Amino acid sequence: MSAGETVRVTIDDTDVHVRKGTGLVETALAAGIEIPVFCYEPRLGAPIGACRMCLVEIEGMPKLQAGCTLTAQDGMVVRTARTSAKAAEGQDATLEFILVNHPLDCPVCDKGGECPLQDLTFRYGPGNTRMSFEKLTLEKPIPISPTISLDRERCILCYRCTRFSETVSEDGQLVARNRGAMSVITTFEDEPYRGAFTGNVTELCPVGALLPTQYRFQARPWEIVNTPTVCGMCPVGCNVHATVREGRVKRILSRNHPEVDEGWLCDKGRFAFTHLRAADRIVDPIKRVRRRGFEPVGWDEALDEAERLLRAAHGRVVVALSGSETVEQAYALAKLLRRGLGSHQAMLPEEVTDALDAYRLPLSAIGDAQVVVVLGDVPVHERAPVVDLWIRAARRKGAKVLSRLDRKAVREAERVVLIWSGPGGRGGASVAELAEQLGLAGKAGCGAFHLPATPNGRGISDAWAAASDEEEAEAGSIGLLLVSGDEAAENPDVRALAERAESVVVVSMFHGLAAGWANLVLPGTSYLERDGTYVNLEGRLQRLRRAATPPAPEELEWLSRLAARFGVEVAPYASAVFEEVSARCYGGLTFGEVGERAPLRGYPAAPEQVERAPVPEPAEATTGEGLRLVAYKPLFSGPAVERVPELQFQRPQRELELAPADAKGLGIRNGDAVVAAAAQNGTSVRLRARLSNDVRPGVARVAEEHAAGLRGRVIVTPATPAEATAQ
Amino acid sequence: MPIDEQIVLAGADEHDLTKLAGYREAGGYAQLEKARAMEPQQVIQELLDSNLRGRGGAFFAAGRKASFIPREPARPVYLTVNADESEPGTFKDREIMLRVPHRLIEGCLVVAHAISSKHVFIYIRGEYLTEFEILREALQEARRADLLGGVTIVLHRGAGAYICGEETGLLESLEGKRGQPRSKPPFPAISGLYASPTLINNVETIATVPKVLEIGAAEYAKIGPPDSTGTRVFSLSGNVVRGGNYELENGTTLRELIYDVGGGIPDGRELKAIIPGGSSTPVLTAADVDTPLDYDALAKAGTMFGSGAIIAIDDRCCMVQLGLRVAQFYMHESCGKCTPCRVGTRWMVQILHKIEDGSAAQADLGLLLDVCDRILGKCLCPLGDAAAMPVASYVNKFRDEFRAHIEHGGCPFGGESSLDHVFAPVDQHALTPVPQEVPA
Repeated sequence: MSAGETVRVTIDDTDVHVRKGTGLVETALAAGIEIPVFCYEPRLGAPIGACRMCLVEIEGMPKLQAGCTLTAQDGMVVRTARTSAKAAEGQDATLEFILVNHPLDCPVCDKGGECPLQDLTFRYGPGNTRMSFEKLTLEKPIPISPTISLDRERCILCYRCTRFSETVSEDGQLVARNRGAMSVITTFEDEPYRGAFTGNVTELCPVGALLPTQYRFQARPWEIVNTPTVCGMCPVGCNVHATVREGRVKRILSRNHPEVDEGWLCDKGRFAFTHLRAADRIVDPIKRVRRRGFEPVGWDEALDEAERLLRAAHGRVVVALSGSETVEQAYALAKLLRRGLGSHQAMLPEEVTDALDAYRLPLSAIGDAQVVVVLGDVPVHERAPVVDLWIRAARRKGAKVLSRLDRKAVREAERVVLIWSGPGGRGGASVAELAEQLGLAGKAGCGAFHLPATPNGRGISDAWAAASDEEEAEAGSIGLLLVSGDEAAENPDVRALAERAESVVVVSMFHGLAAGWANLVLPGTSYLERDGTYVNLEGRLQRLRRAATPPAPEELEWLSRLAARFGVEVAPYASAVFEEVSARCYGGLTFGEVGERAPLRGYPAAPEQVERAPVPEPAEATTGEGLRLVAYKPLFSGPAVERVPELQFQRPQRELELAPADAKGLGIRNGDAVVAAAAQNGTSVRLRARLSNDVRPGVARVAEEHAAGLRGRVIVTPATPAEATAQ
Repeated sequence: MPIDEQIVLAGADEHDLTKLAGYREAGGYAQLEKARAMEPQQVIQELLDSNLRGRGGAFFAAGRKASFIPREPARPVYLTVNADESEPGTFKDREIMLRVPHRLIEGCLVVAHAISSKHVFIYIRGEYLTEFEILREALQEARRADLLGGVTIVLHRGAGAYICGEETGLLESLEGKRGQPRSKPPFPAISGLYASPTLINNVETIATVPKVLEIGAAEYAKIGPPDSTGTRVFSLSGNVVRGGNYELENGTTLRELIYDVGGGIPDGRELKAIIPGGSSTPVLTAADVDTPLDYDALAKAGTMFGSGAIIAIDDRCCMVQLGLRVAQFYMHESCGKCTPCRVGTRWMVQILHKIEDGSAAQADLGLLLDVCDRILGKCLCPLGDAAAMPVASYVNKFRDEFRAHIEHGGCPFGGESSLDHVFAPVDQHALTPVPQEVPA
């Protein structure tokens, strides 16, 4: 990117020097002057000049101009409402018009107090109204989906939401209907607004028209606190604000990290927080008692029992991790088990390597790439949603987005990014090897990403390695299986392991997952209730801050007490634990230095990474009859999502996706009922076919929850009429 | 002085110019050959020299507009013909398409050559079905006769939105999007249809081009006043004996048009007001009847040349009702994109209703003018101005009539007022019923 020519612009008699072509709104800001806006939002593409809030006077132009649509030119003389009566009158007029039909129900509007319309009316608007007619009344509120409610009377038609839908998430579902004063925002064909990113429109809306249903009538701005933390729902680690009222999380807002998320969130990260208050949340330890079954016990008794079970295992402890533990929790656990008990066996849900450390880039670099190669068969938005938005941004800017490697295209481009989404990635090793082959190392703007399945796999691997240098011992019998977290607790491979263990201790948030199979259950916490650090898929170390107090002590607290019983010293505070890990993994960085918007630091003094034994992936059945099954874990799945009623409509349909070429060969059309039968064991599942261009030929893609029993290769056939109608 | 010489409709009275044979007999498509033998730049120079100005309403010099198209563009260049004629009172383009469709096609091909374009789109108003069919026939004939010379001409029918006659709204609609104007810059000449250089001209402008080449720019420039050269097809309507389209030299006075050509006001009524350029232009009073129909003279009289649609209004007409009808039209046609137009036009209608009902106070008149003023010059496209300008002019020029409504608590015409033949009410424009609000 060239530095560009610098130009001088005079705004309200103040000279400011900016790069030629800088938007006038930003230029004014550089001079410390506000040009008020509603519709203008640079992240939504080219300005549209619709709301007319930004009217300014430009020397040499007879009419007022929409400031947001202009760019800085040398010698430009601009007058805003501060120094131009004409501009002030124009802005007053715009606000008067906007308020003509706005209901002014601020006292009961959830946007009240944090509403741009309110703020700008106070600053630039008329003090009273000359409108003496009945205001436009429309049906309201309209649930455009179970998570978003639309109030058309409050809407000022800035078209931010429809532009988001059209140019950012590119789903085209939000549209304007009718015209003139009767224009309304609606969803296409009145279908529910479904998709991975819908919630962003509630933050883009400059008035109280689009609101999250979860937040309606929940809080007023003066009683809330926004805690800056990081989302723990996927490996992207979007920066968020958790809005808390009286100790309860009420809402998740984005907290724009321009390198990570650009201020966008997925609906899982935004709406799944109510799992904190799930009806089956565990608040007390639960102990299995002979004959009486299970009963809640106090913490002293629980720790006694934990100590007893650990000692009884005689070092034969296996820990199954979730990948959502903080670095500090994982380290505390590792220190207890490895140093206190000499147990070195851990099981991560996926492989983790440091192979990609030479190809690290911020996610925003995807948006600047010329060629983006997306490998693997799982849709990016199902694994790391915001990465999908970066890929779309790149495509809009003219990048080639390829689903298979085109070496010629890669050679001809200066900036190439490889992304691996799906099985076979070997924790990043596969894509790193490819990047090496293509000579991407050290080339500016080039890099590679692996999309892991867990939010903090890398951080946990770091912590585990930092706790001890001992080699992993060969597993014989399992004395105790320690299941850390809900994702591990619902993993069928972990359940299978539990069958072989003499005793099982589960740390879980929910009764539904822990009930029945453990000798001891300890209450778990969520990322919103923890202090600590996560390492995201870029290798970026980020800070979690406790937003809500958990109903039970955080893991670090009781781990510290338990460790003491084995002579291992673990501080109960994340800051102290972090510094121990940091000394070995993160170059001695202190907790405070991690930062609110963490930079991508890389690994200055990386210790030798220990490759954890992963849960074996089903061997890829590349040849044979039928199609290769890719059963993926959908975005809207998992213990948290299952406990949020509003998100159930987003769960995947009972569909089998296949490439149009394969479908043609099989005589299957889009929407047909099909039967997928496993080639090996004959298990069959009835599904609906969906033809999709982003599925590679030879692949049948099904959401995990609808692929029950299917493995390896599947034979897909059109359902017979009887099969199609049978439930 | 009305002249006999016709430019756009020349020969249409004597021959059937809708057929290729008839048009050829009258010398048709000779100018295309001539133009294709010229360098594109030369054709543009002819247009510049003729001082032909755009007939759609803005009266922008056609040659200059064509010269804005980059000579060595990185993307394809498009010519778009605006046949979405929908300004109330205007019906000239339909006459041109009905009677001289080949002249329009020839004009398209000449201009396409001038800007080195291979793609022409004619965006035709959806309600113009017969015109569309005649144009389609003519195009088919031209295609069969191998006249297109590698140029594609696409006829695209609109779906009944006035705003798609605004050039950028037209482009959006043509791209298959919601018909709403774009913010300018970028101007269409740089980034228009599919983000490519695009020239947009009115039907009449394009249909004038072959004759400019035929008689030569210098000769053409001699017709009419220096700044409004040539002829225009004037659409005369309202309270006149012989309404219709008349192609006359620019500079003809309103009196000549209304009385000499149009036969005056029927039923022994008095001329009260004249709308000189379509419903969006400020009104003139009977005292202005000697104003010549040229750009500068009309500007001096405080109004605009507009689309060349002259509406004569006689003394039966209540100006408040007229204002209401005009405002209703623009409220109905406002696209809803920018705030002042979307909200302001509806507010204007509400205030005008109140005045007509007799429930208004004197302050409402000031408010009405203020609302007009707050729309004027602050909108994204000219539609807001098109609503505010005429209504403000009705108040300013017929203030006593507005006052009388307020003072007498109702319309002083007492139900005797008639807008017959002036403008059709909005519900006759609407294919679908106007959406209703939900009662509070």
